[in-house]
Amino acid sequence: MASFDRRRINGPEESRPPVFDDEIDSSPSNLTTREGRSPKDIRPIFLTPGLISQANGSAYIETEKTKIACAVYGPRQIKNAPYNEVGKLNVEVKFAPFSCTRRRAPMRDAEDRSTGVLIHQALVPSLRLELLPKSCIDVFITILENDGLEGCVASGSVAASTALADAGIEMFGLVTSCAGITMEKDIWLDPTAEEATQARGCFTLACMPALGAITSVWQTGQMTADEIIQCTEECQARCKDIHDVVATALLNSRSTKG
Amino acid sequence: MTSKSESSYIQSALLSDPPCRADGRALLDYRALRLTTGVAALANGSARLTLGGTTILAACKLEIEDIEHAIDATDGRRISCAVSCSPAAYPHHAPAALDELQHDLAHLLNAALAHAALRPANLTVLPGRKAWLLSLDCVVLADAGNVHDALFLAARAALCDTRVPVTRPVEYRTPLHAGGVRGDGDDDSMGMGMGVDTDGAGLDTRHAAHAADFELADYWSEGAALEGWDRWPVCVTLNLISTTHFLDATPQEEAAVSLRLLLLISCAPAGPPTLHGTRLIGSGELPPAQFKSLVQDSLTYAKELKKTLDAQMHSERARRQSGVLR
Repeated sequence: MASFDRRRINGPEESRPPVFDDEIDSSPSNLTTREGRSPKDIRPIFLTPGLISQANGSAYIETEKTKIACAVYGPRQIKNAPYNEVGKLNVEVKFAPFSCTRRRAPMRDAEDRSTGVLIHQALVPSLRLELLPKSCIDVFITILENDGLEGCVASGSVAASTALADAGIEMFGLVTSCAGITMEKDIWLDPTAEEATQARGCFTLACMPALGAITSVWQTGQMTADEIIQCTEECQARCKDIHDVVATALLNSRSTKG
Repeated sequence: MTSKSESSYIQSALLSDPPCRADGRALLDYRALRLTTGVAALANGSARLTLGGTTILAACKLEIEDIEHAIDATDGRRISCAVSCSPAAYPHHAPAALDELQHDLAHLLNAALAHAALRPANLTVLPGRKAWLLSLDCVVLADAGNVHDALFLAARAALCDTRVPVTRPVEYRTPLHAGGVRGDGDDDSMGMGMGVDTDGAGLDTRHAAHAADFELADYWSEGAALEGWDRWPVCVTLNLISTTHFLDATPQEEAAVSLRLLLLISCAPAGPPTLHGTRLIGSGELPPAQFKSLVQDSLTYAKELKKTLDAQMHSERARRQSGVLR
């Protein structure tokens, strides 16, 4: 009964993904130098607001192998709940079943919720929720292709903040986010999934570059205090660049809308 | 739930000069820490920790995991953590909210303790085939503030209390047939081997290059302690209020504060302290300069906390060995 789903045609209980010839040949290499870009380079970002017309605000972000779509509904009234003086922000993340190398269950699982909590933490300090009593803002994030959890959280926060701005919700500043990993002696920004598995420690920072304030810090693995401080500085500098991208994208979409 | 006037009262007391708290502690004082180990008789290791009023019960259970046929190719020796919040500890929470709280605490524990670098080396039974799986289960019995610190302290104490049964690999050989011809001396590991000194016994526990199974070396002994116990981190929660911070908040103080910084720090005797996890929780924003100074301050707090916990564990071990009943 473990994964029995009445609504779908269930496959065999135990199944493994096929192994392809070129996978057998290419063994996971120990990455000492970064391939394709310098350690402090982030991958180019494609960001466009206004993807989903039914939502109050939406955004789609794509960075090489990470593709995330975000929709914002709100502010809308909370029914059947006691009075709340400050508005509530609900962030729901869903990994599409085809987003990872191994198929994920269509049902919501544990990783969805933890990713949602991290993106929620990145967004909450930036929103003026005290202007929205009795209301809630729903942010729905769908991850279409996943290249490492840190990349998803970072890109998801950027997409969500763009969508919130697209929806016209008042905020203190745009939130941008960047991830970094510590390899032997160096810090690499914007890691892919393969680089993140070989890293000693991973660090994701979300901040509001306009105000110079940090909204969320998430670190896993092992790092020393000096490495964390260095990562913070590098990520903050990158977040400023991402902020330019977000602002340009929002301005362009407004000017085309009229 | 605290009212606005109560929150403001607590905040102004914390920001006053000299700062004062409801129970008279200084900003950086922890409440009394009490530890009892070996509370769950059937578990391989357990601890019950009380920090002020917050009570956490943590227990470790070992079971054999077959890693040869597992779908994900891992080395085994996994640690899997689960947290359960007793409804008695949170009488005002709805069941769904309790589930979410449990899940968030378990995720924090797993992210730190289940990391590949912290896997103990002596959890291997048969390299590449079988290994111990350590399940760490924590129960929050009472919550009087600062659950995160108490949870990690209890988890660390339970892990240090865990005893892994010592196993040895075992290989089966068929006995030498009467009148059988002796081979050249090199036999295949599993089959018709005739070691010179088997004497007709089917079991040879000495040369087990391709061991098929394992047995307990000593049925009655508890086992060896988990390796790498000085790598387990402790959690320091810094509650941030304006430009100052304080430790070990009571529930009212937690409600009055809008931002907390969680740091998981392990202090090995040699080398600088390592951070195993960092998390910012709350709806306030943090200036980067303050974040840097907080990270530096937390290293000192973690050292003190770890020293206190180690001293308590030491006295507990001495008490249990001397057989004093508590």
